[in-house]
Amino acid sequence: MKQYLLNTWEALSTIFIGMKITFGHLFVPAVTIQYPDVRVRLPERVRNRLYVNMDDCIGCLQCARACPVDCIDIETVKSLPTEDLGKTSNGKKKALWVTKFDIDIAKCCYCQLCVFPCPTECIYMTDVYEFSEFGRNDLVYKFATLTNEEAKEKAAQYDVFMEEKERQKAEAAKAKAEAAEKAKKEKENEENKEDNKDK
Amino acid sequence: MHQLLEEIFGSELIAIIIASSLPLIFITVLVIFAVLLERKVAGHMQDRLGPMRVGYHGILQTIADFFKLIQKEDIVADTTDKRFFNLAPVLVFAGSYAAYAALPFSSAYIGSRIDLGLFYIVAISSLVVAGILMAGWSSNNKYSLLGAMRSAAQIVSYEIPTVLVILSMVMISANFTVDGKGTLSLMEISEIQTSSFWNWFVLGGAGFSLSKFLLLPFTMAAFLIFLISSLAEVNRTPFDMPEAESELVAGYHTEYSGMKFAMFFLAEYANMFAVSAIAAAIFFGGYQSPIGYLGNSLGIEWLVPIEQFFWFSVKGVFFVFVQMWLRWTLPRVRVDQLMTICWKYLIPYAFVNLTIIGIISLI
Amino acid sequence: MTIYDIIFYLFAAITVLSAFLVVTAKNIVHSAFYLLFTFFGVAGLYVLLGADFIAIVQIMVYVGGILILLLFGVMLTNKITSVEIKSGTIHVLPAVIGLGLFAAFVLSTMMTTKWKSNPAELPFTTVYDLGYILINEYVLIFELLGILLLIALIGAASIARKDKE
Ligand code: SF4
Ligand code: SF4
Repeated sequence: MKQYLLNTWEALSTIFIGMKITFGHLFVPAVTIQYPDVRVRLPERVRNRLYVNMDDCIGCLQCARACPVDCIDIETVKSLPTEDLGKTSNGKKKALWVTKFDIDIAKCCYCQLCVFPCPTECIYMTDVYEFSEFGRNDLVYKFATLTNEEAKEKAAQYDVFMEEKERQKAEAAKAKAEAAEKAKKEKENEENKEDNKDK
Repeated sequence: MHQLLEEIFGSELIAIIIASSLPLIFITVLVIFAVLLERKVAGHMQDRLGPMRVGYHGILQTIADFFKLIQKEDIVADTTDKRFFNLAPVLVFAGSYAAYAALPFSSAYIGSRIDLGLFYIVAISSLVVAGILMAGWSSNNKYSLLGAMRSAAQIVSYEIPTVLVILSMVMISANFTVDGKGTLSLMEISEIQTSSFWNWFVLGGAGFSLSKFLLLPFTMAAFLIFLISSLAEVNRTPFDMPEAESELVAGYHTEYSGMKFAMFFLAEYANMFAVSAIAAAIFFGGYQSPIGYLGNSLGIEWLVPIEQFFWFSVKGVFFVFVQMWLRWTLPRVRVDQLMTICWKYLIPYAFVNLTIIGIISLI
Repeated sequence: MTIYDIIFYLFAAITVLSAFLVVTAKNIVHSAFYLLFTFFGVAGLYVLLGADFIAIVQIMVYVGGILILLLFGVMLTNKITSVEIKSGTIHVLPAVIGLGLFAAFVLSTMMTTKWKSNPAELPFTTVYDLGYILINEYVLIFELLGILLLIALIGAASIARKDKE
């Protein structure tokens, strides 16, 4: 009986304590913010959407290699020696045309591993975090500044250049081979002489 | 009110139809307000803000939601029992609407002046139980059926303490009527508690007699019992197992969508207000003002019923607020705890209370 | 025809129609649900007769109590909902004889009874008098009924708890 009354008392009193607490919270200012209107200040080193500053990219593929999920897809074409691609902001000379620089941000896990190896610090995290899209393909970000035609042109140019070079090389190689042949013979002769000496 | 309408429209039939559809308007407005209140209360109690985007501080949110609901496709699963599936929401709403017939909104408006008001409300709410069972069964879904069964078992069990408490208050009312007979009419019970809050039944009734002070603790206890069991009767937290979102995925309304779901929703809020209004009427003077009327002191007669309506709504909405308050305070009880609370605690207390109040009223 | 007549016929139609459906429904749960409307219609008829208390008790006890219990029983019984109920006509001849006799009996009673043709003054409420009679004249029966119900309750509880011991 005593237990019974105690139970009743406990139930009622605890309910009132609870109600007091919740009533108090009715007047506590909200801890939430009105998100699209008000935003929290992001911490300094947040990891969000990647951005590539193509002016500085030398196409070294370091970032693509570092990425654990292989979501960076880079294609490069070598430039001709006659072309000057300018320098990056920290003084590196650019030697490659970056014809394709796609980041599939849907796959990206924001590990930031691609950021550190970049020699020119041109790939980095921004503070943009609202970039949902309706289609999955819209999440493949294309950073390459060259248009398709330009990229083709560069590739063709390079091919032509390479063919030329190849030819020159072949000729050079031929000449070299002949020279080598000659040298070899001379050497053999010399060796024979030395052999004779030893004997 | 009825006479007035009859004079305006010149026909009894039209007057009846209009008078009986007035509570519908009241319920609609109330629900629009109460749903917003619920969300705001929920928000602020959890240190949030609640809806903020539609209108100033989200005041139009419920209206937007309402339009959303009526636009929704009405999905009826293939294996449901169509006829009863469609009938159940109507029945549930009819049950809760019927209760409004005996609620005295003010001295000028009450749906029906039957003498059995309270008894009628208790009886007619069984339509809701039948409707819920119908909804649960015809959904052909195990969660719905479980929810419906729980709900029915719960409502039937908690009806007992509710009725016992109502009975004890009716006994008290016998002390104050002219002919010494108690009354079951909410209107008369409200009339007894007139003129000031001192006369409220929760404070033992009118006057300064000894019996008032003897009754006081017991009427308070009666009020607590009524509050708890009425919470269970309208399936509110902590007794909301029939709808338990986390275990029964909303119980008997799992399969309902669109307008039919809105109907259940409307019925739930209508019920909440109905029990709150009963609590207000039998314990807190119903439509009577606690401090006197402006209309009386200014000599404007027609102002008094309007003021009474105001007080009635304020008291009702206050208890609706208490229900919300409890909802955001207490966790849900288990089924066995639910039954323990009812059969082992509330019913014995209600009985003891009834006996003591009876003895005190006799002497 | 006044409004009350219309309401009377409405309730009568509800009662008869749903009673018919109760008998003919193939599914036992459907029968139980139709029974709800029968009870409700009967309650409406009571109201029109001025028996407000009886009407409310009708709803309270039959709809709120018996029907719910019935539904619970039906729903908790395994596979009872899928039982096909036969509702065809068999034993036509005995049925016709029985019905004929019953109809004759009812008709003769209706003819021979002297109905009060002018309606008596309806009491505004019947509760006080009913309560008074129950507690005074019929107090013994009232109490006995109470005890009977209590015994039934205890019996049910003890049956339910039996295998726990
Ligand atoms: S952040 Fe990580 S996953 Fe994303 S692109 Fe860079 S290396 Fe790949
Ligand atoms: S590591 Fe930097 S420079 Fe190299 S390819 Fe990636 S973005 Fe370009």
